[in-house]
Amino acid sequence: MTETEEFTLNVGPVHPSTHGVLRFVLRMDGETIKDTEMVLGQLHRGLEKIAESRSYLQFVPYTDRLDYISGMTNNYAYTKAVEDLAGITVPRRGEYLRVLVMELGRIVNHMLFTGTLFLDLAASTPIMYCFRDRHNILELFESLSGARITFNYIRPGGVRGDIPEGFIDKTRALLKELPSRIDEYAELLNDNEIIKMRLKGIGMLNPKDAINYGVTGPMLRGSGVSHDIRKDDPYSVYDELDFKVCTRSECDTYARYIIRMDEMRESLHIAEQALDAIERLQGPVSTSYFPRIFKPARGESYSRIEAPKGELGFYIVSDGSEHPYRVKIRSPSFCNLMALPQMVKGLKISDLVAVFGIVDICLGDVDR
Amino acid sequence: MTQTIYDNIVYLLSLVGISFGDSIVPKIIIVLLIAVLLLVGVALMVMFFTWMERKVLGHVQVRRGPMITGPHGLLQPIVDGIKLLTKEDITPKRADKWLYFIAPLIVFVPSILVFIPMPFGQGAIVSDLPVGILYIMAISAISPVGILVAGWASDNKYALLGSLRAVAQDISYEIPMVLTVIGVVLITGSLSMQDIVLAQGEKTWFVFLQPLGFIIFLIAAIAEMSRIPFDLHESESEFVAGFFTEYSGMKFAFFFLAEYAHLFGISAIMATLYFGGWQGPLIPGIPVVIMSIGWFTIKVLAIVFFTIWLRGTVPRVRVDQILSIGWKVMIPLALLNLFITGLLVAGGVL
Amino acid sequence: MNIINDVKNRFEHAVVETYTQNDGKEGMLIKKESLVDVCGFLYKSGFDHLSMISGMDYVEWMEVVYHVWSYTRKENVVLKVKLDRSMPVVDSVVSVWSGADWMERETYDLIGITFENHPDLRRILLPEGWIGHPLRKDYDLTVDQYVIIGEDGSDVVTTDASKLLRKEVLHDRN
Repeated sequence: MTETEEFTLNVGPVHPSTHGVLRFVLRMDGETIKDTEMVLGQLHRGLEKIAESRSYLQFVPYTDRLDYISGMTNNYAYTKAVEDLAGITVPRRGEYLRVLVMELGRIVNHMLFTGTLFLDLAASTPIMYCFRDRHNILELFESLSGARITFNYIRPGGVRGDIPEGFIDKTRALLKELPSRIDEYAELLNDNEIIKMRLKGIGMLNPKDAINYGVTGPMLRGSGVSHDIRKDDPYSVYDELDFKVCTRSECDTYARYIIRMDEMRESLHIAEQALDAIERLQGPVSTSYFPRIFKPARGESYSRIEAPKGELGFYIVSDGSEHPYRVKIRSPSFCNLMALPQMVKGLKISDLVAVFGIVDICLGDVDR
Repeated sequence: MTQTIYDNIVYLLSLVGISFGDSIVPKIIIVLLIAVLLLVGVALMVMFFTWMERKVLGHVQVRRGPMITGPHGLLQPIVDGIKLLTKEDITPKRADKWLYFIAPLIVFVPSILVFIPMPFGQGAIVSDLPVGILYIMAISAISPVGILVAGWASDNKYALLGSLRAVAQDISYEIPMVLTVIGVVLITGSLSMQDIVLAQGEKTWFVFLQPLGFIIFLIAAIAEMSRIPFDLHESESEFVAGFFTEYSGMKFAFFFLAEYAHLFGISAIMATLYFGGWQGPLIPGIPVVIMSIGWFTIKVLAIVFFTIWLRGTVPRVRVDQILSIGWKVMIPLALLNLFITGLLVAGGVL
Repeated sequence: MNIINDVKNRFEHAVVETYTQNDGKEGMLIKKESLVDVCGFLYKSGFDHLSMISGMDYVEWMEVVYHVWSYTRKENVVLKVKLDRSMPVVDSVVSVWSGADWMERETYDLIGITFENHPDLRRILLPEGWIGHPLRKDYDLTVDQYVIIGEDGSDVVTTDASKLLRKEVLHDRN
């Protein structure tokens, strides 16, 4: 038996597959990973501190920069905490519009996830397909909010503005088209032998560990725990909508990937229902008046929603002034990333790339 | 005796009334001319491949590829070349200077040398070595040395790990490749590339006589060319750029050229061994030399197209999977192929 | 809510007071000595998901807030412990929920609450050597801190802008 010497390999912060500025310090034995340490914080912008000097409305655009891939859900998570704090209710049509954009946002996120995951596995085609279709959804968002990434659309009291003319038709056409696009990805990727070789049986995380590490979202459902905040602790109008919670019990990365594919289809289904409701319902999308300087009474609220990456929570404490006293963000990427060393122990460095891709983090969300 | 490029040039010169008896100087000039011709030819092909790769991959991925420089971006490779040549050439502080300098050459030179016994067309061969295919296999086995040297000399962990991967892969796939080539040689009874082409003219393309051998050769060839799904040489999502992580400017350009020259070389070998080389139906009125070179080019381009198509379709295989496919599947199959071919040849069937 | 009553029955003196958040989530303020025991009891009662740990600075005192969720019972519960601001120390709950690891490190990093018995309590988002804990209300925002590369290649925090590669000072605070 030959003896090998362990060495340290530094991956990142500037590296093709760390999806941003994350640094791994790997203890390696040849190509096998013995131990992983992560060095975070290169993108730390102190959002929680910034919040303390902004008014409640001013902080909404900052939430876009958290997980800059799915800004809509970030907007909503913060907004919901503020609304809970101040006891604001939003017209039902507004809630349906929020659900519609959030679910489309989830599809955008999962498309980007699929693309980057396979880009890390050196398949450069899926990301192009995904960007083609993501573009169409971003066009819709642009017509609503004027921005493609940082929307600032959902805000306390409702949304920025009612839907523009022709929005319903455009959205309906897109919702009709997207299933065939998702089928196209599935045809290209799901049964590919090499992809199965690369993804099956690695990055195992059993349900007990997954719960214990605080892993949430598709990562948790890939470990066979059927939990979705939209279903189990419903917010907005999700309790009126019909959708399935996609769960698989294989606990490996392939299962987690398939869950995302299924979730895209479920999100389309939800979006259709929401679109029908927007068309059917009459009335405004926002509360009639929402002041710029807004002083909620003393108190605190914690809202958590099912963001595309997992459980996104905002804990807001008010001291009765126009600034939040404290905003604490529970970001899904941060908590999901914590389980990574467990998942990659003993795997090859090529697997690190795959497992890291499947965790689906956004560094803006990790470092805040 | 086969006609070579040299013979043809002498013949052409004699047609216009120039002949030079036994004097050595014109001969050397002609030989140098052929060397330059070969280099330029390979360089042009490489440039075309880079353009083709971008265009084909672009269209596979629902985009258009380069469109700005020249018609359909045809001048893109030239612009790329200028960019590469004018970039700063950085040598890391702690690198082994001499090895760092020489490694691109060790990789690049063999990738050009393999073209010497390559029959590009009827009468278009630099030198019809009697041991042609053996020579090619031997020469192309040198480049892993250069890769290892490059990885070691860079003093970079990514480069070292990448080069070790690359060498492991090259060595494991060289064996099945050579074993399948023996099958072809058994049928032909000669190691000369020209003879292999001619034998396919008499019988049929060896891809039909050696289907299993061809599949093994194809997979091994993709691994040798270090193309996706077997592009461990680069593995950019893990090791940034593999063994040439630290290289820049001209030295990087050499690796780049070598990679595509390798792609050309192995596609040419595949076309020669399995698709009848330059053989193809002739159109009356067009000189045989041009027709045969045309057929050869078409076949090579078809193979290159296939590899690009493959790149657009599949991801990379993991390192241990590549090696286990190589040793546990490819080599036994190659031996089986050799055994069957041997039996058939001995029985007089082939 | 019944879990709070359960906790009250089980640990008679641990619960100082109960309250309701504006969004209706029930919470209880507990004594910091019995934190780990109460958390262990919650975990056994099915509260297996630690959603978030937040450190709070109320100038006179500090608090750590634990938002916990149960996958089986589908209930929320909020725990709070009050800490002395001059010595904010509390027991770590990593032994109960492994997921508390990074959350506690973050709380330590940004607000300066020390968690005893934490396996690896280091700064996580800010580099080692950062002066102060930014989310404290008395954090000095007027001092610029820079991270430069030290002699041995490690990150070094400094307030001296003269060693930066970028020489000019981009904005003047005066």
